[in-house]
Amino acid sequence: MVKKNKETKQFRVRLRLNEKIIVVLLFAAASAAIAFSGAILYTLVDGSFSFFTDPKVDIIEFFLGDKWIPTGNNPSFGILPLLSGTILIAGGAVVIGTPLGVAAALYLSEFASHRIRSIVKPIIEILAGIPSIVYGFFALMLIAPIFREYFGADYFNAASAIVVIAIMILPIVISISDDALKAVPNHMRKASFGLGATRWETATKIVMPAASSGIIASSLLGLARAIGETMVVLLVAGSVANFTFNPFNEVMTMSAFIAKVATGDIPPGPAVSAAFAVGLVLFIITYIINMIAARIVLRIKTGGSLYAKKGDRRNIVARQYIKFIQASTYFLFRIRDTLHNFKNRVYKAKALTLERRYLKQRIGKVVVGGSIIIAIVFLIILLFDIFSRGIEGISWTFFTSYPSRFPSKAGIYPVILGSLYLMFLTVLFSAPLGVGAAVYLNEFARDTKYTRFLRRLIQNLAGVPSIVFGLMGLAIFVRLFNLEYSLLSGSLILTIMVLPIIIVASEEALKSVPQSFREAARGLGATKWQSVRHHVLPNALSGTLTGIILAISRAIGETAPILFIVAFFAKTAPSSIMDGFLALPSQIFYWSTHPQTEFHTLAASTIIVLLMILFAMNAVAITIRYRSQARRDW
Amino acid sequence: MKVVLRNEMLTKKTNGDDISVRNVNVFYGSNHAVKDISMDIKKRSVTAFIGPSGCGKTTLLRVFNRMNDEIIGCRTEGSIILNGVDILDKKVDPVALRSKVGMVFQKPNPFPKSIFENIAYGPKIHGIRSKGELKEIVENSLKKAAIWEEVSDRLDESAMGLSGGQQQRLCIARALAIEPEIILMDEPCSALDPIATAKIEDLINELKLRYTVLIVTHNMQQAARVSDYTGFMYLGKLIEMGKTKQIFENPTEELTENYLTGRFG
Repeated sequence: MVKKNKETKQFRVRLRLNEKIIVVLLFAAASAAIAFSGAILYTLVDGSFSFFTDPKVDIIEFFLGDKWIPTGNNPSFGILPLLSGTILIAGGAVVIGTPLGVAAALYLSEFASHRIRSIVKPIIEILAGIPSIVYGFFALMLIAPIFREYFGADYFNAASAIVVIAIMILPIVISISDDALKAVPNHMRKASFGLGATRWETATKIVMPAASSGIIASSLLGLARAIGETMVVLLVAGSVANFTFNPFNEVMTMSAFIAKVATGDIPPGPAVSAAFAVGLVLFIITYIINMIAARIVLRIKTGGSLYAKKGDRRNIVARQYIKFIQASTYFLFRIRDTLHNFKNRVYKAKALTLERRYLKQRIGKVVVGGSIIIAIVFLIILLFDIFSRGIEGISWTFFTSYPSRFPSKAGIYPVILGSLYLMFLTVLFSAPLGVGAAVYLNEFARDTKYTRFLRRLIQNLAGVPSIVFGLMGLAIFVRLFNLEYSLLSGSLILTIMVLPIIIVASEEALKSVPQSFREAARGLGATKWQSVRHHVLPNALSGTLTGIILAISRAIGETAPILFIVAFFAKTAPSSIMDGFLALPSQIFYWSTHPQTEFHTLAASTIIVLLMILFAMNAVAITIRYRSQARRDW
Repeated sequence: MKVVLRNEMLTKKTNGDDISVRNVNVFYGSNHAVKDISMDIKKRSVTAFIGPSGCGKTTLLRVFNRMNDEIIGCRTEGSIILNGVDILDKKVDPVALRSKVGMVFQKPNPFPKSIFENIAYGPKIHGIRSKGELKEIVENSLKKAAIWEEVSDRLDESAMGLSGGQQQRLCIARALAIEPEIILMDEPCSALDPIATAKIEDLINELKLRYTVLIVTHNMQQAARVSDYTGFMYLGKLIEMGKTKQIFENPTEELTENYLTGRFG
């Protein structure tokens, strides 16, 4: 029996005080999302304000004008060419990538054996993990020349970007469509088989329509991703804002313009603040798309029916959007039926025998299976091309030299160091913040309006285009806080960017710890924090670590957020957090933009190094996950 | 790809010829779920299978339309002769078979489509394209399933809006739309309330004029009410089979009597 005396009483008072302080800290970590979202909004709104109040700028012309000439004596700021460029590239990528991705998901979900699934899914993960700058380099080296030579395209053209971005969004489309297809209850498939339908008929006539909202959501998320894509477009689509929808022309997208400002290609003046206005438009567009898609995905994940319940006023926009899509697909089906009837009247249709149905199934399987093959072949060609270009540049001098005007002397010593320092700082800032926020949200927060608001903010942060983070870093960290173009600024930007990843992964890890652990501890008299610290966190450790590694492997490949801050030349490696720095992805970008082959070799060699680091990180993450699963005895 | 042997025989409707089941065994991996069952099913009658949980009734039912083929690791042996064709023969295509043997499941499972589309799905995939023909088939099937009056004015509305009993009758109509010879029913009323159950039992009585109905049921009284022949199964074996009246009033096997009188359940 524990003796209660004055000492115990004082102990418990201190305990309660400590507990309160800790909960406040965790609450602050979660609420930081408000500060970060506010920072982004402030950046965009304030910058746009300065832009629109500039005498050379007319707001009507901004939204309706069709000339975008941001520099010179008579600048013209009509956003339509940037919009057309974005629509052309993002739209084209979605038009190619969605059918490809949905077909692949259909194959994986309805036809593939377990073995094939277990081989293909990791390959899709690899596709997802390749940084966009690598895709951009590949587009520049291999895809653009093909369009130039065989299609007579401009030197820089939208088509190259469209093709590559279509592949980039495949993992998103595949994974969400696959989830949606798997969520269709199995008894529907059984009912269809019972009626004598083939696998193909069941998959296309029953399962896919039932999963249609999820598939739509996946294409929306792919669209949002494509709209925000910067580096591929910057490298290969061009920098002349032509108002055109011809994919073989050079175009500039909104994100590319902002990045051009970042790389310093544009002299100071209203052009620079124009970047903020364009960033605001970009942000709003992606925000709306992500919001609609998220509502739909939420419905699927909670298994809710998409048929409106009476009096359910939330998700009205999502429902209206779904109704719109369903109405248009219904309309498309009516057109198809009319065409079929017409065709049947014109000539006698062949009977739909069993053989023909099986033929349809075989053709169908080839088509959907083929889409997976396309993705895999693309990956193989990409990796092979880059390795064959860059392998000759890998040498000891490469790792120990500094970047130089002379490619034969150039190396990436400060570049690797810069990236490593950047990652170290990012982990330092983001891990406690992210894990703390996750612990608060999962263990302490109650389901209040405020908590739901925080969660929505975090989800929205995850959907912000990466170049907008760059703008925010410039406005807040460099200008407002005077942190200069430093490692500190860079790591702070990346911290905010990877925060949602860490929070989501940590929350998942925490959720996987059985509730009984917590209850057992509380039952013995432990406070909430004690139960979390001693029983929940240790068991959620591996999941949290994996999440952090995942976040860092995203951050190390990101170019756009640090484009405003990073340097491309250095005489020495950074020695303090206030120093400037170089980084792997930005160096790849810099060298890619030089026309000489030797620089391309340098870029390819740097990509190899980057991919090796990513591979090592993911190997560590997988090992941690594997070990913890093996050791788990609950 | 499976070649359909003697397809014409399968698609031709024949009178007479009972369905003969010979030495049917089903294995799930190493689990012997259905043990050496042989029997004759009379055409155009209702045959009920009763027995305690896990005795293999549903597995046996699923042999008739080869739904077990979809399950990985499931092996079926033996033969079932329907219209002179052994439907368990590897050369017989399950897809073709299922247009002759329809199934109604335990839980009503309409597709998330309109009522019309639910019924029209079967005929459509079997090649019927003309709108007029489809309309006729839908109306006939819904009438045969005794649900036409209730839904004739809302054929374009979603089937998910129907009540449980209506959904199950919709599923029966859906199965009837492809003109099967045999209808398999796997505990069709277990998810329904008594009133809906009564409606479906009346329906079964009408169906047996045209179709051969095999019904699995947990409810002994339902079997007594609805069926002409009853088979009692226990632990994978067919213990006794005969006219319903005889099984219930004068069972030959002691095991059957014990089950019927509730000595075990």
